[in-house]
Amino acid sequence: MLVRKLTWPLAFLMALALVFTLFPVFWIVMTAIKPPTDWNAAPAIWIPHEPTLVNFRTLFDPNAIREYGVGGVSQAATASVLGSIFASVTATFFSILIGLFAAIGLSRYATMSKATPLVILSGRMFPPAAIAVPFVIIFSATNVIDTYSGLIAIYVAVTLPFSTWMLKSFVDDLPREIEEAAMIDGRSRLMAHLTVTIPLIRGGLFATTMLIFILNWSEFMFALVLSYTNVTTIPVQLAKYVTATAGTLYGVQAALAVLAMLPLVIGGFMIQSHLARGMTFGAVKR
Amino acid sequence: MTSSADAALTRLSRDGQTETEDRMLGAHAPARPGAPMRGNLGLARFFAVPGQIVSVLVLVMPLLVALYMSFTDWTPTRGSLLDASFVGFENYSELLIYDSRFLEAVTRTVLISVVCLAFEFTLGLGLAVLFLREFRGKAILFSAFLTPMMILPVVVGYTFWMLFQSNGPINQVIALVAGEGAMPEWFRSAPLAIATVIVTEVWHWTPLFFLILLSGLNAVPENPVRAAVILGASPRQVFWRVVLPMLKPVIIVAFVIRGMEVIKLFDEVFMLTRGGPGTATETISLYIYKLAFNDFQLAYGAAAAFLVLIGTLVIINFMLLPVRDQLLEARR
Amino acid sequence: MSTPKLELVSLHKEFADGSVAAVDGIDLTVAAGETVALLGSSGCGKSTTLNMIVGLEEPTSGDIRIDGRSVIGVPPGRRNVGLVFQDYAVFTSMSVRQNLAFGLAVRGIGRGEITRAVGEVAELLGMSDRLDARAKDLGGSELQRVAIGRTLVTKPDILLLDEPLSNLEAAARLAMRKELRRLQKEAGLTIIYVTHDQVEALSLADRIAVMSAGKIRQVERASAICEWPGHIFVASFMGSPPMNLVRGALRHDGTGLRFVSDGFSLALPEHAAIGANDAAGPVILGIRPEAIRLAPASATTLAARVRLVEPRGPDAVVTLDCARQPLKAVVPAHGRPEEGAEVNIAVDPMTLVLFSGRTDLRLPLRGKEAA
Repeated sequence: MLVRKLTWPLAFLMALALVFTLFPVFWIVMTAIKPPTDWNAAPAIWIPHEPTLVNFRTLFDPNAIREYGVGGVSQAATASVLGSIFASVTATFFSILIGLFAAIGLSRYATMSKATPLVILSGRMFPPAAIAVPFVIIFSATNVIDTYSGLIAIYVAVTLPFSTWMLKSFVDDLPREIEEAAMIDGRSRLMAHLTVTIPLIRGGLFATTMLIFILNWSEFMFALVLSYTNVTTIPVQLAKYVTATAGTLYGVQAALAVLAMLPLVIGGFMIQSHLARGMTFGAVKR
Repeated sequence: MTSSADAALTRLSRDGQTETEDRMLGAHAPARPGAPMRGNLGLARFFAVPGQIVSVLVLVMPLLVALYMSFTDWTPTRGSLLDASFVGFENYSELLIYDSRFLEAVTRTVLISVVCLAFEFTLGLGLAVLFLREFRGKAILFSAFLTPMMILPVVVGYTFWMLFQSNGPINQVIALVAGEGAMPEWFRSAPLAIATVIVTEVWHWTPLFFLILLSGLNAVPENPVRAAVILGASPRQVFWRVVLPMLKPVIIVAFVIRGMEVIKLFDEVFMLTRGGPGTATETISLYIYKLAFNDFQLAYGAAAAFLVLIGTLVIINFMLLPVRDQLLEARR
Repeated sequence: MSTPKLELVSLHKEFADGSVAAVDGIDLTVAAGETVALLGSSGCGKSTTLNMIVGLEEPTSGDIRIDGRSVIGVPPGRRNVGLVFQDYAVFTSMSVRQNLAFGLAVRGIGRGEITRAVGEVAELLGMSDRLDARAKDLGGSELQRVAIGRTLVTKPDILLLDEPLSNLEAAARLAMRKELRRLQKEAGLTIIYVTHDQVEALSLADRIAVMSAGKIRQVERASAICEWPGHIFVASFMGSPPMNLVRGALRHDGTGLRFVSDGFSLALPEHAAIGANDAAGPVILGIRPEAIRLAPASATTLAARVRLVEPRGPDAVVTLDCARQPLKAVVPAHGRPEEGAEVNIAVDPMTLVLFSGRTDLRLPLRGKEAA
């Protein structure tokens, strides 16, 4: 009685929303498989007649595109892909490791001030451009600018509040009695946490890891200002494409964009049920 | 009965009572309020220290450096930061009184944010309400509607940059409907460029509102809704008078979370317009970025950042005011 | 006789999967001003019945008539039936006043009339001074008052209550019981309520409908239902402790009918007459615990052994072993036997109840009922 059916006008509205939602994704994917002749066609070609993966190959081999008689791809995107993977994976690992410890500490041992969540939240409000300024100065002075260690350190610090808070929410969901029971069995507190707490929250641990990875993989500004020649990530590479060769290399650029979003879309769907919790600092459960 | 089982029972009954609120507000109440595990300060430190070190080294210290810097006239050409001269609040007064570009960026960012949030909320809520209905393929459609928020901002910016090209698909559709003459040059006109930024942002983040609001709607207890129906309320009245008020805390959480992010708007704009034409789409973050890394006005940029931080804190606190007690209460 | 307020006519409800009928053919007639309790354990279909009366669920078949008119297809808000939920479902974001006014406000009633109606109901419920309190600050019995008041404001023909007292603490429960009885009289309401608690049912209702497995087993005046249960389920459900039920058969002896079961034997009332068909089949004898007396040995008494004595204030429940047949008896506390004692018991034959072992229905003992 209370749950009503979707009427046709409403279904139409929803279909409209679906088109609006999926069209950009459709467009970028289609562009990524367009052969060079279709890139700049006017009027634009929506679905390529002869789809190709050459754009993806060109990302790793600038000469691949020559089979279509197109030159001018000056550099490969290989470094940016590897750089993104290395920086994101390493930073995610450390953020989760440290965050897990902090989460257990906060959940089990600390009497937190009421304001703690607000303090953590306010850390998210600071414009990254502003944090980037002192980083550039400090990193220049200590010679870690344009190195992966510098970038990773920032990523760990910036995502730490997220990983801590989200993991804490999962530890909080566990009754303490479970660990206390393990300690009665004769295990030390530390062992109780390592052998009981952590395995029991592995679902949440996985979800948090995915979320932190998504944050690191998506990060743009720090990579932009802290990288010159040694360090590069996919977002930085994409930004370079837009300025340097605007309008001429749509297919290759789109291929890189698709490559960049692929792991996130897959990972995002895997943790879909935890997404609300993760994106709201645990303020919305489910 | 042992005391620990006793405690577990007490807790269970308490959890049962506040379950709905907990789910809505979140509030992962610590398993036993106000009573940390007995003793063992060493272990507590052991767990907390790595996080604290990282936070201090990589967040607090740079912030302090930036804060100090914002009171100097330092630029990279002037050698060490320690040699820079202290200028007091000069940077701040300059920004607030004379820097019309900064003030415009602030106004612009706030306006863009308000428009974006209004659209995202309305569309997200509308979609969430549709998802309360019964239809087939709900699970797949749910995932499909979440897709945009899973895509990294730079790619979103890049995609829309392509869509809005003068020979892009959007103009193609416009030409089809209104003729070739109607095709606008999206990035050459100030209001149109702002429109592209808003459309991009709304596309990207409406799914988050949808997700949060749907979670909230699903957590709304059924009986008050049924009671309202029995009392003769129409579906519309049930929604506006009963459901929406119960959803208020969740709505505010959604606005706070998104508000914090949209005010920092950078990646998408950088890809779409770089702030152009002129400074027509320059947001606060973009302006600070340009100050610091194009013009090397690092000290001045830092001052701007702190002004923004203070402004954001004040706004968010006002937004949180109506639900703060509830949030904190539930957390305890 | 005037039209009954509410009629349920062979009401059926099956849920989507069609596996089990939640409500399996219910007939019930409720007169105006009457209070009827639907009594049964959870899952017996009583809440589904309530939901169908109010219109939250539509029956699969059968009819619901209010004042003689079918309300099938009429939306919940138009049936003029009020429902008070077990958890009250008060609108927590509103004040007491807004809660009470809700039903009229959504119908677009004028401000003046709403104020008057809300004032009246608040007066009736003794909440006039709490009108501006926020609903989320209220305690249990206050919440219930608001829930009832919110419904009364709309002047419902029928008031449905779902477990009205079960969420209240003991003291509040007594007060609320009194309150409900007063409302019943003053507002002249027709009330149907659902409960699993027979004390609650007995203390509030004029009539009780005992339900199990989607069927009404018996509808009877509250005062009579314990004494003359019409169905074996009712006998096993009502009373504390419930009626003793013994399986056995009937035999004729010189003077009349006798109930016999494996060494246990009891004479039925002198004029008892059972149809030959029923008398031949298996029967179940019901002996009320209150009808068993300890007595000096005589020809009509039975020898028993006391197994267990559970004192409960003014009386005690005694579990007896009578020819290997366990029986519960309620005896005055001062005369209660010791555990393990050998006693003699007497049962007044006029209080015995007999059920058919085949239909589970009560067999009228014609002799007595004619008298």
